Amino acid sequence: MRVRITSAKALIAASALVVLAACGSGGSSSSSGSAAPAGAPIRGGNLVFDALQDAQSMNNTTVFDNNSIWIFEQIFQPLYTVTNNGKGVEPWLATSYTMSPDKKSYTFKLRPGVKFSNGKPMTSADVKFSIDQDRKAKGGWDFLDLAIASVDDPSPGTVVIHLKYPWAPLLADLSIFANGIVPNNYDGQTEAQFYTHPIGTGPFMWDYWHKGQALKLVRNPYYWQRGKPYLNSVTWEDVPSDNTRELNLKGGQAQIDQTPAWSTVDSLKTTPGVTMSLFPSTQTNYLAFNEHRKPFGDVHVRRAISFAINRAALVKAVLFGNGKPANSLLPPQVPFYQAATQGLQFDLTAAKAEMAKSSVPHGFSTEIIVPSGNSDYITIATILQAELKPLGIKLNISELDPNTVNNDEQHFKYDMVLTLWTMDIPDPDELTYFAVDPQGGASSFFTFYNNPTVVKDTVAAEKTTDPAARQSFYNVVQADAAADAFMAFLYYSPYPYASTSNVHGFFVTPLGNMHMEDVWLSK
Amino acid sequence: MTFVFQRLLMLIPVAIGVTIVVFFMIHLIPGDPASTILGIHATPKAVAFLHHEWGLDRPLVSQYWLFMDRLVHGNLGQSLYYSAPAASIIATRIPATLWLLVYAVILAIAISVPLAMIAASRKDGVRDHVVRAVPLVGLGMPPFWLAILLIYAFAITVHWFPTSGYGAGFFGHLHSMFLPALVVAIALAPVVIRALRASMLNVLGAEYITTAKSKGVPAPRLFLRHVLRNAVIPAVTVLGINIGFLIGGTVIIENVFAIPGIGQLMISSIFQRDFPVVQGVTLVFGVLVVMVNLLADLSYAALDPRVRFDR
Repeated sequence: MRVRITSAKALIAASALVVLAACGSGGSSSSSGSAAPAGAPIRGGNLVFDALQDAQSMNNTTVFDNNSIWIFEQIFQPLYTVTNNGKGVEPWLATSYTMSPDKKSYTFKLRPGVKFSNGKPMTSADVKFSIDQDRKAKGGWDFLDLAIASVDDPSPGTVVIHLKYPWAPLLADLSIFANGIVPNNYDGQTEAQFYTHPIGTGPFMWDYWHKGQALKLVRNPYYWQRGKPYLNSVTWEDVPSDNTRELNLKGGQAQIDQTPAWSTVDSLKTTPGVTMSLFPSTQTNYLAFNEHRKPFGDVHVRRAISFAINRAALVKAVLFGNGKPANSLLPPQVPFYQAATQGLQFDLTAAKAEMAKSSVPHGFSTEIIVPSGNSDYITIATILQAELKPLGIKLNISELDPNTVNNDEQHFKYDMVLTLWTMDIPDPDELTYFAVDPQGGASSFFTFYNNPTVVKDTVAAEKTTDPAARQSFYNVVQADAAADAFMAFLYYSPYPYASTSNVHGFFVTPLGNMHMEDVWLSK
Repeated sequence: MTFVFQRLLMLIPVAIGVTIVVFFMIHLIPGDPASTILGIHATPKAVAFLHHEWGLDRPLVSQYWLFMDRLVHGNLGQSLYYSAPAASIIATRIPATLWLLVYAVILAIAISVPLAMIAASRKDGVRDHVVRAVPLVGLGMPPFWLAILLIYAFAITVHWFPTSGYGAGFFGHLHSMFLPALVVAIALAPVVIRALRASMLNVLGAEYITTAKSKGVPAPRLFLRHVLRNAVIPAVTVLGINIGFLIGGTVIIENVFAIPGIGQLMISSIFQRDFPVVQGVTLVFGVLVVMVNLLADLSYAALDPRVRFDR
């Protein structure tokens, strides 16, 4: 017997996840801006995004750069897409699936009538080719498809994915942009040729890319959602200066600033003609400890530091109050987030007690590396320096070129380093595999953390498809990871976006996805 | 022609010197292009894969040899960030920087020549003091600050110019690049005004000027045909030297006005450790500085027939 799960059921399942995760999530970040449509959508217009930096490449299987991802997500679409709350998936280029009793085969029905922007219909051969390409993308997003054994295309409207073992995050993995659908055999081109002017089923199609200046997409006339997109085109312009992006918005030269500086958020909230939106996100900032450097192998030292950090003060100083102190490895917008996990919150008495139990009860001298020019991180480091003094910890701040900081972190040449994470799939597996599983390829977020119980529960949560069982495994993972303080969980921040007030329907999911087909410009 | 040929020949050792210094500096400082490309996902396995793809796992000397071998064949290698030929990326950025420099020089001359003439026409008079003092404010103002003031005044308040960008087509560039070029020109003008004023005062004391005056040559003609032409060479020298510095300094203006020039490309490529592009841009900067100095030298002969470089 095969278990059939319709699109409606998938939505119900996603909603159940939402309810589970929302229990005690404490609500979402504030949004001063109104992205609600005013009246009936108007067709036409070119929307200009001001981006901090240029895109890197349109190759969706190998690129990790957000500036590229936000663009090619408008061209390539996956079988399932992330729901607006970021905690589930909904049918997109597929309409439904069935799962085999052994939970190792998924059969997908493809949405009829979907065409690529060159007018050719999308078939199962395109889907098979696309997923196989991602699986082959060495050094890219192939790690998310490791559970897939093979992909079959028995009929033009049906795709079967065979797994090596039962794998709960499959739909979430399929919703990533890297599994977006491209034409079979790149429509007769080489991979390199194809990605210079890619073709997809998304609302927009390729126009031009003047590297370092602007990239433009225009409306896909074959788009499968009738009447959409509303915009004629979307242009991403590279404007590296924070001030200039703000001035472009005020001068009407751009409609959306993708990265307004935190220091300007409050003033933008009251600027006439500007809508300042703070979308709940999965971005979490951490302080990582290198456990191979003394005395950070000592859990009491890590716990002492974690207790000594006043997270509310960090939120106020860095995000100007526009965020929340973190309590868990997982952010609230991820399924199975456990709000009840208190984490190690600010408690100086507890911090001193932990130091007294540690191998260095009288303190020690250590170093934190921060990227020069990153005022947020320099502020955090300066606050930490003051907060660790009562524990006898002398913290030296070493400002290095940003690339060097990344490199030193990845080569374990640090004592303490500030780092962050944003989710790419609506499942905690992507983060837990990377952060707490030493086999995840990064030695547990480059910290050398290794707690066999946490690893065991993480692996168990991947292999069971029962949401309740997964929740209980992830509860333990979150509680243990917080108690071990392998990283100090600092704060959750929203995604700030500033737009002109004639932009309507603009929304960003907690994973950063934007559905530009829903956006329109009023006169 | 021998002079020009000799100066062009000098480009070869300059270029080789630039490549050696830049190649080893950029490779010896800490950092890794894989960190940029992979971000937080830079697992040792993924990093090793990219290093092998890019040839960064080879000895440094062998990498340099490969770079030079490609260079003599006109190939600057592949950009690690864009996975596209570095030469084509640099080539698309050069016009914006050249536009900025040439436009700025034209505006600087347009500002400097009349002001220097006004100052020199009445030495130590009120207008001389005003012309000598006021432009110094331009020299002292940080370019990014002046740029933001000008954007507020002329792009936000009165909408005469766009807030940023390069524009499209000749007239689009002319319109969009006015404010950035003006910022550069305001920084350049004070030194040119001072040099021009000083040399004009020297020329004004010459006997041939007294002769011209006694023959009744009208003042405007006297200044334009006799004084300016003879006084301009020191100003051209000062201009040439300052353009050399400006080529390296365009990055600030390109950054504020979001101009896709090579200055901005240089900075982003350094942060990304995009070695082939950094090497290529530095080479272009080196060649540009030599060429600008050569043009300044050649302009002496064009401006003053007495100057001859050939023996």
